[in-house]
Amino acid sequence: MADFSASTTAELAAATRGASESVDPRKVLADRVDQLYSQLPLGIAGTIVVGTVASYELRQGRFQELVAGWGMLVFLITAARLGLYLGYRRSANHAANAQQWLRWLGIGALASGATWGIAAAIFFPSHADEQQVFLALILTGVLSGGIPMYAASWPMFAAYAGGIALPFTYVLATFGNRLFTEIALLVPAFYAVSVGIAWRLNQVFDAGYRLRHAYGRLTEDHTSLNRRLQQQLHELDEARRQVDASGRKLTLFAERSPIAVIEFDPDARIQQVNRATELLFGYTPSELVGLTAHKLILQKFHGEFDASWRRIMETREPLSGLKLRNPRRDGIAIVCEWTVTPLVSPGGEIVSVIAQGRDITQQLEAERLKKEFTSTLSHELRTPLTSIIGSLQLINSGVLGEPDKDVSELTMVAERNAQRLLDLINDILDIEKIESGKLSLVPEVLSLEELVRESLVLNRAFGERFKVRFEFPGGPAAARVNVDRKRILQVLTNLLSNAAKFSPEGGTVEVSMTVGGGRVRVGVHDRGPGIPESFRARIFSRFAQADSAFTRQKGGTGLGLAICKHMVEMMEGTIGFEDREGGGTTFWFEFPLDTPVAPAAAAPGAT
Amino acid sequence: MPATPLTRICYVEDDEDIQRIVRMSLERIGKFTVEVVGDPLKAIDAMAAFKPELVMLDWMMPGMDGPTLFRKMKEFEHTKGLPVVFITAKASSAEMNELIALGAAATISKPFSPKDLPDQLRRIWGELA
Repeated sequence: MADFSASTTAELAAATRGASESVDPRKVLADRVDQLYSQLPLGIAGTIVVGTVASYELRQGRFQELVAGWGMLVFLITAARLGLYLGYRRSANHAANAQQWLRWLGIGALASGATWGIAAAIFFPSHADEQQVFLALILTGVLSGGIPMYAASWPMFAAYAGGIALPFTYVLATFGNRLFTEIALLVPAFYAVSVGIAWRLNQVFDAGYRLRHAYGRLTEDHTSLNRRLQQQLHELDEARRQVDASGRKLTLFAERSPIAVIEFDPDARIQQVNRATELLFGYTPSELVGLTAHKLILQKFHGEFDASWRRIMETREPLSGLKLRNPRRDGIAIVCEWTVTPLVSPGGEIVSVIAQGRDITQQLEAERLKKEFTSTLSHELRTPLTSIIGSLQLINSGVLGEPDKDVSELTMVAERNAQRLLDLINDILDIEKIESGKLSLVPEVLSLEELVRESLVLNRAFGERFKVRFEFPGGPAAARVNVDRKRILQVLTNLLSNAAKFSPEGGTVEVSMTVGGGRVRVGVHDRGPGIPESFRARIFSRFAQADSAFTRQKGGTGLGLAICKHMVEMMEGTIGFEDREGGGTTFWFEFPLDTPVAPAAAAPGAT
Repeated sequence: MPATPLTRICYVEDDEDIQRIVRMSLERIGKFTVEVVGDPLKAIDAMAAFKPELVMLDWMMPGMDGPTLFRKMKEFEHTKGLPVVFITAKASSAEMNELIALGAAATISKPFSPKDLPDQLRRIWGELA
């Protein structure tokens, strides 16, 4: 506010100082031209009256025709000047062309003065004494009458008066009369004095115009300054109201915020706390204000806090994700995650520091429980399943003797379902690991063909269960990819077992391997019922199965393809499916080749 | 050592059901001579008496876990050279690698197939150089 008013005063003073010097000369000229033109009607009227009287008085005698001619000349020039006057009045922008208008007016003045000079030259020698006196009187009159007319431009007056005085002086001097010769000497003196007066008047006019403009400018500046002052006051007022409003909003935010908000001074002393802080820690604001942050931090975290605080003070940058153990009033320590933001003034000083804290104790507990649950799932469920599957396998293997046919059938069912339960557990663990980003891959450069062959051996028994044969004509053995062996076998097992499950009994599942465009693709082609339209979009989603009755009949967790997609993508590959010509589906995945191989195709009648 | 066929196996496992299955698998299918120890704290003594050619250890056991027992075995003359196969329900590859780093001959994850277990052990035995 103080700065603002000081600058305003200074501006005003500067404006006053500069006003008289900085008046625009074009404006002054325009004003003078305007003044000159405003006198023109009076001049024209005077010319008409004096011209008419003169013509009338001089008309007798031999020079009637000459007088008529002169009267006609006066009339023409006066008409031209009238035209000039009217033109000036009509001109919309005469200020801009002031110089032009001045020139025209000057020509008019010279012409007008010259008509009187002509009158003197022609009529003075030819007329009688009394008419000569009359003429001299008229000439003196029109000459001195020009002073007020052309006072705004002395050169114009000089031209006008010169037009009269020059021929008159010449006529008087050459008349041959001693008195006239003496008068001829006086006329130029009179002319000089008149021009001098006109010059002086001109100066007065000029000064007047300058003053007028200076004053006008001053007034204008003053008005605009006032306007600006008003505007700035208004803006200030508006700004203050906005600051008030956002201050209230901020307070409201802090007050209603579910997270703890604490304001510290730069020495980490508590200045203010919000309601959530009171609720979280159990202290009233008056118990906390003035104390250092250590009050709310467990002893063994003081060092960490101090280091973070120093860093904030040095960098002036906000710090987030600061996890500290904070003791409550009842002595129980909670874990909070803090975001600490220094408020820096425009001068670079840290005004205060705002800390926002969120109680993450329960979140951490939930994470721990989830981890524990996963580990329980892994260990505690696998241990009994080991016994169940182991027992059933021993019975079903026949080493304990051939069981009864019905018993054998039931123990087969039990083993199959125990295996299914184990698959589900494994799949859930995989999904959990993938989604928490904990699935680690061990990539090696391997021959994809060998992996495919290995997976076919591993899954042959599964195919036999569904009376389905796997067929693989081989592929380019040189096609090597950078993948995790165990995971790629898992993906292949998934695709092969899906294909076997969906194939008609006695059918064949064809496996192909093609190389092209720096990539190698493995396709698994079945002659199953195909993928229903409604299921296509979510086939790679979790727990996605087109037909749950089918699942109960043939097994499967609904997680397999989701896991496959994740794993293939983690190994920088792509996975997809397409309808197969003649019925059935092709599932494929492809990986970039580790080393380029010559394109070769080995697709058994597949797309 | 691998020049002779594998015959004597000591298995340390607290879960009695799994003990029974493994014993049945190794004796009935594998035709091995098997000593099962339920208490890991008595394992060192049992091995001294039984003189196994290969030891199978569970990981999670009350009293002493498998890796600790394995480290302890290295302190005794009669056990320190024995090949150890861990059989565990822990699934993560990091944990498996940890055991191999410790000097384990191999790891077998639970649930294992009792039908294939003898063959698996013979293969491991064969690979011991």
